[in-house]
Amino acid sequence: MDLASFAGPFLPEILLLAGTLLIFLLDVLGVRRIEVTGGVAVGATALALLFVVADLGFAPFAGLATVPSGQIDAVVASGATPLYAFTSFGFVFQGIFLLAAFLVALASMSRPSKERGAPIFYGLLLLATLGTLLATIASDLIFLLLAVEVTSISTYLLVAYPRKDVRSLEAAMKFYIIGALSTTLSFFGASLLYGAYGTTNLYAIRAVARSVGHPVLVLIGYGFLIAGLSFKATLVPFHAWAVDVYDGAPSDVTAFLAGGSKKVGLFAFFLVFLGPVLFVAPGAGGSPFSGGTLNLGPVIQVTLAVLAVMTMTVGNVLALLQREMKRMLAYSSISQAGYMLIGIVIGTSPALTGATMQMFANVFMKTGTFLVVAGVTALGIGPLIDDWKGVGARRPLLGVAFGLMLFSLAGVPLTVGFVSKFVLFSSAVQAQGYFVWLAVAGLLNSALSVFYYARVLKVMFFDQPPEPSALPTGAVAEGSAPPLLPAGGLGYGRAVAIGLIAVAVVAIGIYPQPVLGAISNAAQHFLHVGA
Amino acid sequence: MIPLLSVIVATLAIGTVATFLSGARARWVALATTVVFLVEVGLLFLAYPGWPGYNNALVPGFADGESYSWISLAWMHINYTVGVDGISLVLILLTAILQLATVVYSWEETKRPAAYFGLVLLTCLGCFGVFIALDVLLFFLFWEAVLVPMFFLIGYWGGPQRRYAALKFFVYTHVASIVMLVGLLALVFYSGAASFDFSAIYASARGLSGVVQSFLFLALFFGFGVKFPIVPFHTWLPDAHVEAPTGGSVLLAGLLLKLGGYGLIRWAVELLPSGLHTMQPVLYVVAFVSIVWGSVLSLSQRDMKRLVAYSSINHMGIVLLAIALDSSLGLLAAVLLMFAHGIVSALLFMASGSVHHTFGTRDIASIGGITPTTPTLSTLIMVGSLASLGLPALISFPAEFTALLATWNTLAYWVFVPLIILVVTAAFYLWMMQRMLFGPARGVPLTAHDVPWYEGAGMAILVVCAVLFGILPGLLVNVITSSPIHGFPGT
Repeated sequence: MDLASFAGPFLPEILLLAGTLLIFLLDVLGVRRIEVTGGVAVGATALALLFVVADLGFAPFAGLATVPSGQIDAVVASGATPLYAFTSFGFVFQGIFLLAAFLVALASMSRPSKERGAPIFYGLLLLATLGTLLATIASDLIFLLLAVEVTSISTYLLVAYPRKDVRSLEAAMKFYIIGALSTTLSFFGASLLYGAYGTTNLYAIRAVARSVGHPVLVLIGYGFLIAGLSFKATLVPFHAWAVDVYDGAPSDVTAFLAGGSKKVGLFAFFLVFLGPVLFVAPGAGGSPFSGGTLNLGPVIQVTLAVLAVMTMTVGNVLALLQREMKRMLAYSSISQAGYMLIGIVIGTSPALTGATMQMFANVFMKTGTFLVVAGVTALGIGPLIDDWKGVGARRPLLGVAFGLMLFSLAGVPLTVGFVSKFVLFSSAVQAQGYFVWLAVAGLLNSALSVFYYARVLKVMFFDQPPEPSALPTGAVAEGSAPPLLPAGGLGYGRAVAIGLIAVAVVAIGIYPQPVLGAISNAAQHFLHVGA
Repeated sequence: MIPLLSVIVATLAIGTVATFLSGARARWVALATTVVFLVEVGLLFLAYPGWPGYNNALVPGFADGESYSWISLAWMHINYTVGVDGISLVLILLTAILQLATVVYSWEETKRPAAYFGLVLLTCLGCFGVFIALDVLLFFLFWEAVLVPMFFLIGYWGGPQRRYAALKFFVYTHVASIVMLVGLLALVFYSGAASFDFSAIYASARGLSGVVQSFLFLALFFGFGVKFPIVPFHTWLPDAHVEAPTGGSVLLAGLLLKLGGYGLIRWAVELLPSGLHTMQPVLYVVAFVSIVWGSVLSLSQRDMKRLVAYSSINHMGIVLLAIALDSSLGLLAAVLLMFAHGIVSALLFMASGSVHHTFGTRDIASIGGITPTTPTLSTLIMVGSLASLGLPALISFPAEFTALLATWNTLAYWVFVPLIILVVTAAFYLWMMQRMLFGPARGVPLTAHDVPWYEGAGMAILVVCAVLFGILPGLLVNVITSSPIHGFPGT
């Protein structure tokens, strides 16, 4: 095998790695301007995204595909147990992670040009994204956990990149300690599973899970793995760190954490649980401990269902009680993870489609909202929701864009957030049986969430802004009508990123077929790969 | 063939956006949109070809059908599918009439008129969409599209308790919507329908077992019933009505309540016949309780608007009874009743709004003998009250007569429950007229003057409709009975 045909499929990963190294090299050479380092990051993510879109087979780009179409979704049919495998489902997630990284990189170009730490920020951003990409091609449990670890370590540092900011440092410390703990739990769980199964290959586990004994070992192993991954995915009751970290980190970093890297934990859930466990046919053993073999499906299913409902409900209720914008958005991000988990609980290809669509929508909504928060904070608006009074009137375009993102989070029709929830809850009903109750729980939760999103809209558009004198200088011209500059104070990079997100929220909300069709195909393949 | 239904949707959508953007001229834009809408509805009636038995190849059983693929996955096929039959056509006519009357009545709205008229148009667009949608997702989108503008109409333009009323309205109807959505999704997936289209579900839902049909019917009945509203889920209605601005009340009583009735007929009764059959006793009990309780509550009201609101519960109870009868005569009666109630309750809400503007109160006991001061207003109140109590030659009479006849055919002597209640209704309207309109003047301020022209004109439109369709109910009956899939005689 020559180098080109070996390296070709890794082109997105290579691009990101090259970008990271280039940025650090430029830093050493003294080129630290944000226009340069940011440009490298934006270029690398955009190009990688293009190749991923091509690999997914979208018409105008299909010629750029890096992986021959015969190799996608072809793993393990031969009985081989490789470390990595290219699946269309993995490519969908590469798209999701790269999209988040691209949007964050683009918006961050609007930070002060001479800001210290720009190379560190962009380098780590690319490195974290590289970790997520490696996770999407993993087909081995240890490979997967190591890839997640690459992302984690990069994001600990990313949170701490403004070195003088005490709040960021505190958040990074907390993030690091919790992250280290969760990594320990995950690896310990994985080692127990290796003891039980004799392999760490996920597809091999799929094949042997039905027949292997050691039920207690397997159960404890998966228990630890669930706990470890739940920290990464911010599932209740493993969520407490997330709010402080999201709140303390610079908002642009939070945008990547909430919109991008957090989903790697959920993706790991997909890979670990949809593979081996939930496919154990009912009847392979009546109760978990009967006979020598183990039917883990129902146990894990119920565990994850409880986690999902708790995560949705606790996230929403606590979001309702928040007075600070970032904390509210952080809790809403937690509740969103609960919706996504529903897809894993159900485990059918429609549910997988719904959950993946929910994650795709989430990239726009969560990345978008935190990017807006970062921009608005830079304009001198305080952290409280009440500080946003009159933002909608003073900056109508920004207000409308933010409003669209909130509508989408709340699941208002004709936004991408509605489509994803509709597909997800439809899939719950489609699976029939007690899954219908998951749909009801999810729908009631989204009804609840409307209240805290609506409150932000009310504050932004209807509440009277404070006296102009109370505003920081430059926020409003003296005694004149409020300025209507959409891009002025935000910077063009951020304005373009926010505009792209707002357009995508509506466009995909009205006509979701292309995205949804691709995700649906990928989900179907994923469930049949190596099964 | 011109896709007339989509053209109407586009008309209303463009009109709504234009109204929101047109500032002080919003009322003219709204009026122009409404006139175009009326003309298009007229064309729709003219294009409803040959009526009985008319079939359109695209959407079987529905005229002017259009169907385009929207979302198509291996397990989920959603289309933009619209079409009308006689039942939806009559309710579309009601939508157009009420939109015109509301826009005219609210002509001098001063509080953010652009937003007000925009929201009125958006509500009507949502209702129109509900009446034409033949796909579960499309139906749900329009259904929810009604909720939001009404929430703002109550919450921003309403009376002193408006925030509480708007929130209560939203919570009740939204929770009901969720149950309805789950019910509809379950209907699709449990029946294994080929798509989310009405016709696909219609073809497959009959194969469901009786137990499943009953559960689904119950879920849908709850979802649609809260909009009716049925006792005991009715308490949002009086609050919402009393606090809503007059235009909001008109749309609420005239259109939103009809959505419940229409939804029940289209998505539950038509699709789940054996579910209806099993649940018939439940529906009867709920209907009778709603009829009696609504009437008892309205008897004890002093506020004119609250009285009309509670009598709506009573009237919609009769609609539910007529639907529950599961006969084609009952269905005819239900649709006629909905149309009649839409016209008459709208008229009475406008009248009570005008009473409030003129006398500063709606308390029936504290004003009296208003006829010499405000002859036009008291004439209109009288017409509305007489129509509501079922005077022949006005629209309610043929509707209620059909309902009683259908009840007699199926339930025999139980017909005395609605019959006696109708007498009670007549009594409280007569009593109200006697106290308010006649006798010595009480509580009439010296500055009181008759209703302004726009309020009079708005009500006059409804009076004309009440008389026209009261004398010629056949116009409506012919259209309704031309709906092919209900086994109406002659189709």
